[in-house]
Amino acid sequence: MPDVQSMVAEFVNKLRKRKIEGSQATAKCTVELLRSVISHQRVPHANQAAALIDAVKAVGQQLVAANPVELAVGNVVRRVLHIIREEDLSLTTAAMAGLDLLDASDDDDIDNCKGIGYPAMSAAVVAAAARSTLRPPSLQTLLEGTPESATVPYTSSSGADSESKSKSADKSSLTRKLKHDVIEGVNQLIHEISGCHEQIAEQAIEHIHQNEVILTLGSSRTVLEFLCAAKEKKRSFRVFVAEGAPRYQGHLLAKELVARGLQTTVITDSAVFAMISRVNMVIIGAHAVMANGGVIGPVGVNMAALAAKKHAVPFVVLAGSHKLCPLYPHNPEVLLNELRSPSELLDFGEFSDCLDFGAGSGSLQVVNPTFDYVPPNLVSLFITDTGGHNPSYMYRLIADYYSADDLVM
Amino acid sequence: MWRRTPSFILDRTSTSPPMAADTTRAPIQNPDSISAYYQTRAAHHGVITSEWLSQAQAAVGGVSDSGDEHPVSSLTELGNEKSFNVIEEFNSWRKQPDLAEAVAAIRALAAVIRASEATTMMELEIELTKASDTLKSWDTTSISLTAGCDLFIRYVTRTSALEYEDFNSAKSRLLERAEKFGEISCKARRIIAMLSQDFIFDGCTILVHGLSRVVLEILKTAAQNNKLFRVLCTEGRPDGTGVLLSSELSKLDIPVKLLLDSAVAYSMDEVDMVFVGADGVVESGGIINMMGTYQIALVAHSMNKPVYVAAESYKFARLYPLDQKDMAPALRPIEFGLKIPTKVEVERSARDYTPPQYLTLLFTDLGVLSPSVVSDELIQLYL
Repeated sequence: MPDVQSMVAEFVNKLRKRKIEGSQATAKCTVELLRSVISHQRVPHANQAAALIDAVKAVGQQLVAANPVELAVGNVVRRVLHIIREEDLSLTTAAMAGLDLLDASDDDDIDNCKGIGYPAMSAAVVAAAARSTLRPPSLQTLLEGTPESATVPYTSSSGADSESKSKSADKSSLTRKLKHDVIEGVNQLIHEISGCHEQIAEQAIEHIHQNEVILTLGSSRTVLEFLCAAKEKKRSFRVFVAEGAPRYQGHLLAKELVARGLQTTVITDSAVFAMISRVNMVIIGAHAVMANGGVIGPVGVNMAALAAKKHAVPFVVLAGSHKLCPLYPHNPEVLLNELRSPSELLDFGEFSDCLDFGAGSGSLQVVNPTFDYVPPNLVSLFITDTGGHNPSYMYRLIADYYSADDLVM
Repeated sequence: MWRRTPSFILDRTSTSPPMAADTTRAPIQNPDSISAYYQTRAAHHGVITSEWLSQAQAAVGGVSDSGDEHPVSSLTELGNEKSFNVIEEFNSWRKQPDLAEAVAAIRALAAVIRASEATTMMELEIELTKASDTLKSWDTTSISLTAGCDLFIRYVTRTSALEYEDFNSAKSRLLERAEKFGEISCKARRIIAMLSQDFIFDGCTILVHGLSRVVLEILKTAAQNNKLFRVLCTEGRPDGTGVLLSSELSKLDIPVKLLLDSAVAYSMDEVDMVFVGADGVVESGGIINMMGTYQIALVAHSMNKPVYVAAESYKFARLYPLDQKDMAPALRPIEFGLKIPTKVEVERSARDYTPPQYLTLLFTDLGVLSPSVVSDELIQLYL
């Protein structure tokens, strides 16, 4: 355990000092850390899922507090929690099915079960009830039983177990199985995060056609791979890159694209509106995608989105599934923006006399926000590693990837 | 839809035959069908026009007859008595101001189960379907009634197939769930209130239209959480919902300002968000609500203000109106305070349809959703 504590402390430090760049790297490191936490966590025999969930939540809270702007951290913590709940549920239903078969042969057990107040229902009903508590609430389950029924399997299984030794042997294998399944699920998640660029790039060929002009802003690795994948498949197209002041990362992207053989044009951010009428499609990478379909992207994308809307140009956003956040932008927990150092804009030496330091003669202030928010009605399409989606479809992906109980950590 | 021509002269002459068709529904009452649902809402709000009162007198005398005449003639004597009971039962539940419409419907159906002498699930289902059809045909304008009945019937047909061999235990379970539905409805309102707390920030101005119990719950919870906000409520003619809502809110020490319905665009600048309830949520994701909601949503949309709808999930209905006239007409009497010459027509529709592109988010007990979720949920339930 002390080993894990020091690992967590080290990672929290790295996050706080912004030493890890990019949401993919951050997400991957976070998941790997959580995997170590889970494998080192000692779990009791009963209610092991709850112990795992508490451990992961505790670590998750520290990580999110260290870097609240990087929403990917919170996202993957919630993904891991969802995995734990899912694996626990599937194991419980399997156990119930097995337990029911054993019960049927044993009269005492049935009497005992009835004694606990547990009606003689078959495993299917219990499984359905338990599954309905994990699934997001829906109209189908509106009239069905309340969540108390989910806790009944626990008490009845532990009650029945105290009877026979054979069942206790099953229980300990159940313990090992839960951790094992969870770690398998977490490994799958890591694999998914690592492979998101390839998955998204595979879809490039469907969206980029011959002789098109694509506009992009700033520099995103996902966009780079997307465009290169289309180039590989022998599409010829041109790219306009808006430079993305004040960091000018668009220059780096332009260099890379030229190196891969694409015809590239560099324009200033202010020229986006002037050039948009010549563009067929705008493709940008996102920092995070919110639950309503809104996008948090590098500063300047809102302007590009408005320009695209005005000229009816499709605005496509590329985002790996680890960027999908179940929170809404109005949520006070979500920090929409981070202010960077003003030295990127203005040289301190030249302006030191007019800068406003609180007390003194100067009254010049410099604001350097990192991100921009694009409302969902400006976005035409989201391309994630699971395919292309409408902004209004985001709720579905959120329901698949996250549990409602984990939204508040 | 096909009557959108300036030839209203022709329309006027052609409306007389269709009116005759309406009278087959209620031969003893007035030719124009007054919507019972909106009358009940008005009764809850305490606004009773003299016209409505006389109608109600006639209706109370007429319900026993209409109960017999409405159902299809193939019903037996026993069936007639049942349909009479169902409608009476439903009306008695509906009168309670705090009870949602769908809860009243499901309680009425629960009464049918209790009074039923069926011995198999199939028989019980058939009785329930008959009773629900009677209820639905009695008041075609109430969407939550239809949706509530459908939901309950769906639940019955689905769970009855499951593991219960014992009919009596199945019946008692159905009764228990039906009774619990009232609690579910209250719980739904609380969940919605909790979900919407994040959207109300300190110092915001909320515009409210109509008197929705769910929206009232939301505002109450926000006040209890010591949020500082103020509310602008529209007058809500002809129901006078604005006055009632403002009196409720002032009891909670929330600063309230009353607006004329026509003053909405004038005040929309200082509004941060619009909150409305819904009489029904249709499959496209749009809502059917008190007259005036569409207007407010249009103004809010043109000024980029978010419109939030608070509705429980059992109000989702399998309707898809393409325009305002595409629904069953729900008329209600409107008093102007002055005598109106008989040659002057009055637009008496009680509700309008707001298309989904003017709505920002739906707050339901299934979570905070975008309008496209509604069709998804309905498909899962009905197909």
